[in-house]
Amino acid sequence: MHPKRNGGPSVQTPEIFWGVILWMTVWGVLGSVLLRRRYFSRDLDTSNVNFAGAMAGAALGPIGVAVLWARTPKLSGRITTFLGLTAVVLIAAAFSFADPENNCVANGAFRASQFTNGLIIGIIYGFMALGLTLIFSILGVVSFAHGEFYMIGGMLVYYITVVWFPGVNPLLGVMGACCLAFCIGALFERAMLTPMYTGKIDRPVEYGILATFGLAFTLQYFVQALHGASPVKVQRYIDFPRWEFPAGAESPLIETRRGNLTLFDTVSISNPRFIAAVTCILVLLALLYLLHRTWTGKALRAVSQDREAAAIAGIDPNRMNMLAFALGGMIAALAGALLVQAFSWLPQVGAIPAMRSFVIVVLGGLGSLPGAFIGGILVGLVEAAGTGCIPDAQKAASYIPAYGMIVLTLTLLLRPTGLFGRRFASGAHGQGG
Amino acid sequence: MKTSTLRRHLMLSAAAFALGAGAANAQDCPIKIGGLAPLSAPGTVVGGEAMRDAMMIAEADINAAGGVLGCDIEVVIADTEGLPERAIAVMERLITQDGVVAVGGGYHSSVGVASKDVADARGIPVVFAETWNDTITGDKQKHIFRIAPLSSWTSNVNWQFALTLPGIEKVVILTENTDYGIPASQETAKGLESGGVASTIFSVDIGTQDYAGIVERIKAEDPDMIITLVTGEAAFNFTQQAADAGIGPMDLPFQTGQDALESGTYWTNVPDGQYAFVQRIGVPESQFTEKGRAFAAVYKEKTGKSDVESYAMEAYDSIAVLAQAINEAGTTDGSSIVTALENISHEGTLGRIYFDYGLKRDPSEDGKGDEWWHQWPDPAITIIQFQEEGQASSEAAIVYPEAYKTAEPIWVNQ
Repeated sequence: MHPKRNGGPSVQTPEIFWGVILWMTVWGVLGSVLLRRRYFSRDLDTSNVNFAGAMAGAALGPIGVAVLWARTPKLSGRITTFLGLTAVVLIAAAFSFADPENNCVANGAFRASQFTNGLIIGIIYGFMALGLTLIFSILGVVSFAHGEFYMIGGMLVYYITVVWFPGVNPLLGVMGACCLAFCIGALFERAMLTPMYTGKIDRPVEYGILATFGLAFTLQYFVQALHGASPVKVQRYIDFPRWEFPAGAESPLIETRRGNLTLFDTVSISNPRFIAAVTCILVLLALLYLLHRTWTGKALRAVSQDREAAAIAGIDPNRMNMLAFALGGMIAALAGALLVQAFSWLPQVGAIPAMRSFVIVVLGGLGSLPGAFIGGILVGLVEAAGTGCIPDAQKAASYIPAYGMIVLTLTLLLRPTGLFGRRFASGAHGQGG
Repeated sequence: MKTSTLRRHLMLSAAAFALGAGAANAQDCPIKIGGLAPLSAPGTVVGGEAMRDAMMIAEADINAAGGVLGCDIEVVIADTEGLPERAIAVMERLITQDGVVAVGGGYHSSVGVASKDVADARGIPVVFAETWNDTITGDKQKHIFRIAPLSSWTSNVNWQFALTLPGIEKVVILTENTDYGIPASQETAKGLESGGVASTIFSVDIGTQDYAGIVERIKAEDPDMIITLVTGEAAFNFTQQAADAGIGPMDLPFQTGQDALESGTYWTNVPDGQYAFVQRIGVPESQFTEKGRAFAAVYKEKTGKSDVESYAMEAYDSIAVLAQAINEAGTTDGSSIVTALENISHEGTLGRIYFDYGLKRDPSEDGKGDEWWHQWPDPAITIIQFQEEGQASSEAAIVYPEAYKTAEPIWVNQ
């Protein structure tokens, strides 16, 4: 399982890889332009044709474009997903031929580890972005304080479990952090965002953005003034028991040690990441239950779809605004509360995750909860692939933030509403009711 | 005609006097000295706060000792955020709005590289405290001095120490992609190569939090040693995540970032950081000068820390050496301060500070490179090792070089 080539600076035969990329790009552009014209001339739905045409051209070249041109099928999610995945496979195959000794090609354990890392961090990214998209879908405001909620989540766990009540169960610390973040979100929404709903503000969206910017700076510098800039961390919440499955096997399928989980004797996942990812999934399920099975959740969804109709049905949209902002902040705080056992924490820690959340929300589609989660996983996987596969070690890790931006740019070019976005997601900006 | 000419002369003289008086007033008490420190992200805030505290102690000590030219001094702290563009702006502000007569401090090399041109163009002397990039003094600018070591010197110590590792064949260097990290990593790699040791450099953005993918790549490299040239909490994150993945300081020889010198914070953030090596500028606390010991006592009391970091001592000295230079110059004029600095002999917390080369003598006269210009030649560079869990950096073993060695290094995984 040792790599065949270590840290080499470039692809072995770049002409193969870049040749395929050029071919895919040319046919992708042609497919997008030609099929849009074709669907438009036949008065068919063109909302998805740019993306489907580009993927058909990129994945199958002239054949794909010709088939869609001739048959002009309804461009369902299944077709576009198939074409998109085929394009990804083609890129991977070209890379394998061009650089056969790259770790991503030659080293199966490495590949599995990078995939798992990408998936785990992607779940956490997606979870954090979920809060941002929830706020947007109800209030129509992009909260620029999202990173600071993430930061105070971690800081509160540290203070609760280490400073204020040393030795207290970490679960109480996490719950306490969530409750406090929820309260801060609710109070802020009531105190600062209500003028948006009353019509007193000419530009409610801009007002909301500036108000959340203000909250972000206030929280960050308030914490820095109180705490200082020394990074902190909490001990991992749970130690795994020493366990193997099957027991006594030379290469167990699952093996746990205090700080690690090893799968198939190859993929190692650190305890804090695993706990964070599993908790995110459980809370996501709880959130879905709340949104789809309870009156409150249905009311939230109703407000996100049509505020006036929801108000007529007896739902108080303003109360839903408060609930959405508080819930969104609490979700970010929970992500922070789970990761403070994995990363060093300081008042500025929220900046990069917040930026990444904005990327994910736009990528997944503004206001779309599944879009945010899947967008997060996608960004996590793309980052892991970029970090692991780019041959030049000096560049592979330097460009981590850029990988998500590349995906975002392509998505915006080909599908401006994002992967799961609604065309008019929350245009009401919290008004009404 | 004569009367009007005389009147004109009188008026001109009065105007000239008024201008002179105005200038004198601008230099009136308190005399302002700028202090650069990163106090916001993405800069290394923990380092910036240490430097700020040290510079404030310097201000208090100097004023308690009678001040400068009969005036108190005021250290005007400026937050560089570790960003070059911000550094240019704050240097401009310090000079044009705050009216500083000299500037000390400075943590990030990129800040030094960007801001030195502004200060030099405006004739304001700067003594950089902790900016290592060789070009800062290598550009041979009249007003720029440095008491931090050169990047090439610290890199030399890194690779020379690595070559003492028995059976070493491959080193992974993790660096931040800054004016400090990039040249330091390249010089370290070059030095290792001269000793027949292969190396791979991974560079990351300053402030990187998640190293999972990078750690996997480093594992795939199967290195015999890891050298970390990353500042701030990013180094803590990397070291602990490497430890979680089985390639940390307890698994293979591992040199972590310099911020581990604040050992309380280090152990909080890197609980599995035992046996890590750390580069330290300056002699161990047991060999501190009298001034160094006095400063350490005040600093620990003020900050509640268990150790005094080398960059805090450098920050203190940068202000103190400027204060002495202003006193010796007898004026706040930039050129006069430069002359005084070139001839100074200052007993600082780090030792005796002086500058061999500059306008009075070019480094080339002694066959030295340009980087020796206005460069303090004597900063001690040591490698320490946390040989016990929870150990304070001031009590950690000095394992390199021989001149300062207090214990043999513990090589793990041998």
